[in-house]
Amino acid sequence: MQNIYFPLDWFFITLIFFSGAYCMIVSKNIIKLLIGFEIISKASIIAIITSGYLISNINLAQSIIIVMILVEAVVIATGLALVVKSYRINKTIDITKLSNMKG
Amino acid sequence: MILYVLIYLVIIVGVVGAVISKKLLNSAIMLAIASIGISLLLFGYSAPWAAVFELSVCAGLITVLFISAVSLVKNEEDTTKEKQIKYSIFPLIMSAVVILSSIFIPEYFEKLSSYANTTQNGNELKIGDIIWSIRGIDVIAQIMLLAGGVFAIKHIFSYVKKQEE
Repeated sequence: MQNIYFPLDWFFITLIFFSGAYCMIVSKNIIKLLIGFEIISKASIIAIITSGYLISNINLAQSIIIVMILVEAVVIATGLALVVKSYRINKTIDITKLSNMKG
Repeated sequence: MILYVLIYLVIIVGVVGAVISKKLLNSAIMLAIASIGISLLLFGYSAPWAAVFELSVCAGLITVLFISAVSLVKNEEDTTKEKQIKYSIFPLIMSAVVILSSIFIPEYFEKLSSYANTTQNGNELKIGDIIWSIRGIDVIAQIMLLAGGVFAIKHIFSYVKKQEE
């Protein structure tokens, strides 16, 4: 078991999570926001696999991670499609100027 | 132990590089490096299936998507101002979360281990059995989600095409 190392894992997970949250809060660029989302989901992937290892149930953690990666890919693909559409209409990828998207 | 810390350092370098980099292309590449580090970590935790998915989807597909989107919206870097000083309280919150969670989380997981038990006659179930029998509803949800994403992207681009005509 990895009981001794778990606080160290948790320290890195928290660091990655807060880096992603900082990226999402500070930036107004939509692509940067999506990158922040990706970083947060990576932190949660590490949290899931670490907890699965801790309770010696690694296969359940793997199945959850596979589902999560797929959700992540779909969200990123749809978000980037919206970014490209927004750029074609507004000529900007600033999130504060997305109010022009209608229909 | 040292290997794990080195892998974590690679992930941290990738993540921080993706956050602080001014160019979006560099951010996407640093994110790919972080994904490669995470897949190495998953291999280290003896989770090869999740590692392969992470390597192929996150380090491959999502990086390609990001790079193609960045190339479509070029000349858009550094146009947005960032208020970084306002959020300097983040490290304090982070350290508080780390200290509190390192005290309380291990006990919580020890309590949790009795609930999430997927062993059968003392042996752990294979990942195929877990995906298809225990979490079979997730597969249907994944298919629906993929279909939803495909329809959303198709609708977005067909609308743009109609507007350009």
